[in-house]
Amino acid sequence: MADEEDEVETVFIMATVKINGKEITVEDGTLILDAARQAGFEIPTFCYQARLSGLGSCRMCLVEIAGQKKLQPSCVTPVLHGMDVFTENETVKSARASMLEFLLANHPLDCPTCDKGGECELQNFVFKSGPRQSGFSEWKRRFHDKDKILSPVIVKNHNRCIHCERCVRICDEVVGAKALGGIGRGVMIQSTGFMDDRLDCDHCGNCIEVCPVGSFMSLPYRYKARPWDLKEVDTVCPYCATGCQITIGIRNGEVVRVKSRINTGINKETLCARGRFGYHFIQSRDRITKPMVKKDGKLAECSWDEALSVIKQMFGSGRRTAGIASARYTNEELFVFQKLVREVFKTNNIDLDSRFANKWVTSAMIDACSLAAGGIPIFDALKADLIFIIGSAVSDENPVTDYLIRTAASDRRKTLIIAHPRRMKLDSSSAISLRYKPGTEGEVIKGIADFIENGGESTSDINAAAARFKNASNITMFLGAEILRLANGVDVLTGIAALKALLKRSGKNIKCLPLFDRCNQRGARAMGIHPLFLPGLKKVKEDGMDCGEMLDAAKKGEIDSLYVLGEDIVSMHPDARFAREALSNIKFKVVQDTFLTETAKIADVILPGASYAEKDGTFTNQEGRVQRLRKVISPVGDSKDDLDILCSIGGFAYKSAREVFEKIKKEVAGYKDISFEELDGNGAIVTGHGRQSLSLKGTVPLLSGSDNSGQQSIKEDKEYPFLLITGNHLFHSGRLSQRADILMQLLPEPFVEISEDDARESGIVDGEKVVVKGNGYEAAMKLRIAKGSQKGVAFVPENFDSVSVNMFYKKGEGIPRVKIVKLP
Amino acid sequence: MFEPILLKNINTHDSHRIDVYLKNGGYQALAAALKMQPDGIIQTVKDSGLRGRGGAGFPTGLKWSFIPKDPTIPKYLCCNADEGEPGTFKDRVIIEKDPHQLIEGMIITCCAIGAKVAYIYIRGEFVFGAERLKTAIDEAYQKGYLGKNILGSNFNCDIYIHKGAGAYICGEETALLESIEGRRGRPRIKPPFPALAGLYAKPTVINNVETLSCISHIVNRGAKWFASIGPEKSPGPKLFGVSGHVNKPGMYELPMGTTAREIIYNHAGGIRDSRKLKAFIPGGVSAPMLTERDLDTPMDFDSLAAKGTMLGSGGIIVMDETACIVKVAMRTMGFFRHESCGKCTPCREGTDWTYKVLQRIERGEGKEGDVELLEKLCGNIFGRTFCPLGDGAVMALRGALKHFRDEFAYHVKNKRCMG
Repeated sequence: MADEEDEVETVFIMATVKINGKEITVEDGTLILDAARQAGFEIPTFCYQARLSGLGSCRMCLVEIAGQKKLQPSCVTPVLHGMDVFTENETVKSARASMLEFLLANHPLDCPTCDKGGECELQNFVFKSGPRQSGFSEWKRRFHDKDKILSPVIVKNHNRCIHCERCVRICDEVVGAKALGGIGRGVMIQSTGFMDDRLDCDHCGNCIEVCPVGSFMSLPYRYKARPWDLKEVDTVCPYCATGCQITIGIRNGEVVRVKSRINTGINKETLCARGRFGYHFIQSRDRITKPMVKKDGKLAECSWDEALSVIKQMFGSGRRTAGIASARYTNEELFVFQKLVREVFKTNNIDLDSRFANKWVTSAMIDACSLAAGGIPIFDALKADLIFIIGSAVSDENPVTDYLIRTAASDRRKTLIIAHPRRMKLDSSSAISLRYKPGTEGEVIKGIADFIENGGESTSDINAAAARFKNASNITMFLGAEILRLANGVDVLTGIAALKALLKRSGKNIKCLPLFDRCNQRGARAMGIHPLFLPGLKKVKEDGMDCGEMLDAAKKGEIDSLYVLGEDIVSMHPDARFAREALSNIKFKVVQDTFLTETAKIADVILPGASYAEKDGTFTNQEGRVQRLRKVISPVGDSKDDLDILCSIGGFAYKSAREVFEKIKKEVAGYKDISFEELDGNGAIVTGHGRQSLSLKGTVPLLSGSDNSGQQSIKEDKEYPFLLITGNHLFHSGRLSQRADILMQLLPEPFVEISEDDARESGIVDGEKVVVKGNGYEAAMKLRIAKGSQKGVAFVPENFDSVSVNMFYKKGEGIPRVKIVKLP
Repeated sequence: MFEPILLKNINTHDSHRIDVYLKNGGYQALAAALKMQPDGIIQTVKDSGLRGRGGAGFPTGLKWSFIPKDPTIPKYLCCNADEGEPGTFKDRVIIEKDPHQLIEGMIITCCAIGAKVAYIYIRGEFVFGAERLKTAIDEAYQKGYLGKNILGSNFNCDIYIHKGAGAYICGEETALLESIEGRRGRPRIKPPFPALAGLYAKPTVINNVETLSCISHIVNRGAKWFASIGPEKSPGPKLFGVSGHVNKPGMYELPMGTTAREIIYNHAGGIRDSRKLKAFIPGGVSAPMLTERDLDTPMDFDSLAAKGTMLGSGGIIVMDETACIVKVAMRTMGFFRHESCGKCTPCREGTDWTYKVLQRIERGEGKEGDVELLEKLCGNIFGRTFCPLGDGAVMALRGALKHFRDEFAYHVKNKRCMG
């Protein structure tokens, strides 16, 4: 019964139309184009793109409708019951051919030197339906001879443009950057940035992707290969947990481009800058390619046999050992890793990602988002009439999720509410953007709940948001990973759970999705990378230590051996000094990674692992969608597939990721119906693990810095007026992206962002060099002003070795305070 | 002798001032209209048979009646004063000489369709006209014909002037709406038609200056009187702007259906230097040209449509025997090429290509098959463009080709003008 209530049955009015004599019944309002495609007739298009607004300008899709004098554009004309449509008669065919002839008139026929040649839609259509010969013998319009470089990643050749304006619309409607527009008129029109500038450009390259011809081109890929020379492999993006499907193209063993496919994945044709241009780290010269062992206090290259025998000899077992993994590894690797830690090292001291507050917060997140109850496809979640985001600068952290939310929120019947201290791009689509001081997320939630229950009392913005909650019947909440870093995160998440329960009681449908910033954060938990949970989120008998506790224990000399899988604890743990000190107390540290991170530098053994392009496996994105990662190239140098490394240390007999996956299917209930082989571009959504809630209440120890009101005690501090939040920048992700050259060109150094009001008060202008000081650390960087951000909040991206933002943190003090001083 | 209606005051001193307008019976129609039911006004206009003077000749009353009656939906009136069609200068005269006639018509229209806000989208080059309008609107506010509670009737109306930025396409009604909304002036997809979702996606009526100027006269003197002027199917007075090779170029107000011969020879003083008429364009450059044989065609919507051309804006361009039609066609196509917004393929590329071919022929570099090529291009553009601009361009060229094909052929063959 409950299911029936949940599913509102929509009754569609149907229309029956004849297309080329073939009768087809479609939903009323379907475009003729879609109806024809359903009926099996292909109609060529340039300006049409399903997710973009209809333009009807290329006139390629003209069809004849019986009784109408003029041919009609099928991409913007809906069917009417009884319509008789012709898509393949002589009139239509000749119109199509004439459009192609027109498009070719001013199109430079420089296909031999054009990057698009071979996968050009214009070329394809001309071969298919174009005129055999052109009557055009005039001079061609020409804007300039040389390609214009619009940005470090985008190069534009206006001469080739056919004005479908997909680039303009995708930039405006999907990406929300509004960096492109038309300049000029008639045949002299150019779709470009204002004054050929790249103001507001996100460098996502989606304009390149959607361009049917070679007008927008990728600068890093330019002249690198012809499409038919490329070997292309479909895989998953390794950055955030949106889980975009990407296609990696290699030529002669070199990764030369990353693109997306129009009908594949939740991202369809879109990617963000890091997904599309952040591939250079794969074959970076800085990769560790040989195992290393510390000899006489210095790391020296050695053979695999030596490294492995040292580990077998030195690594202890029992409570004095521990393992920390990064959420960038595949489900299979992480599963084997936890097996290694639990079965071979015989300890439950295992944790993921060293940034988060503690195991109680991460458990509370699993609870609040009901991760154990199975995945929720994001498109289902976005059907809600109210979308609420808290705890994530989603435009920076999960750019493609930002696109999806923007597209959904463009429906005027939907309400988007964003709660975050920082201004973000998605704010332009939101009905209400709530600003608050970091650490007071609990108050925002409480305010909303209070208003729903009692009315009145809250401040006005929260009031307005709460009123929207009251009016909505289907609500989706997105909870950002920032909450996991809060000292009072448990309280915030308990508050959210209470709000959910309250809304449920008033008969609303609630869906809750996490917004994670690492590709396999969700999968890692399900694989048992947690001190409290075994694979399938089954509770352990004996609680292990979380990362913070491990470091505490290490400080006291209670940890002897530590296995680090790809995590840079020194750079990411809040309180860098403490982390370094604690780690140096551990006698034997193994780091398995692709780069020589700060943590690797103090390791005793370094094992060179593989990047995402060098292995098979699966990632589970934030929705709970399991997607296949496919091997594109062999591991570089002497580095090895991580699964092989873990198996040989643990003595496991798994030969491939597929075999591990079979084992996962047995142990993790939610994965039991997923077939590794059959995972295609759309992946598969995990089902429930067979347990609903962890009921942590009562077992959660009261955390330092938190009290029952859900508010972190924020004291005013005249000397250090700013609360510092750190996170990923749009072009970066963790410390991995700084190894990708192009991303470093897009943003080579960190900056500090403060609100416009703060900047005005302190008399600092945008772009000025300042010094950020706090916790005995200082760093010089440029200032950026964000109009509309919360006052008293500073943001610094945490993606650079050059400025270790975690130096500002002090263990146990929660959100750090800093001051910003002008350079004299 | 036809007594001018729309132009009756233009020769009065200070005809643009409200005092003069009031002295000549101005704003009486408004007072009368405010006492009528909105539906009554629409019915009167329907009965009068008034057809839109912007070019398409759509029945004005019918257009108004498409507007939803729901009083909770905001509605808009937009006056199209973009007058960009070459050869047309009728609206300018009204705006500069008798702006209150337009304003009164607009207020009555607002009253009829239930709009509280009206915009005048005026061509950017009409700097003086816009100033005059501004002064006139201010005067109307002062006298209480605009603003809140007009003449104690509880009816509110505001008029805003929006200046164009020089694009011909903004005379197309949906491009005009885009432009008022602050976007790039380019036509929108229809449907939805503006009557349902126009300005700011609200029901909108878009009328030409001359159309709106007729309204006060219809209300004052009745639908019957109006319907009795000119032919039955397209009645009323019409402004004919005569330019080109005539002795007395100018603006002539005559009943609809007056023959071209009478306008050109009787009113505009005949062809200059007693030369022979070669061709004339009846209504702005989009209208296909006619020749001497068609001089006796009544200048109204239906008679001209029967001749394969159109009344358009009523801007008559007269060409004598010295005019080279190839050059005329080239200049016309050059205009359309320049003004094509660039949105759709056939118009953007087609006008450019055609213009280049015409330029080549005109330069004396014509090739065999060029005339056929032009005809083929016309066929590929016509009926396939997004908005009527491309069709207009083709119609103009087709008109020239229809009557003067040999002249084009001569040009191609002999690399110079005929005669």
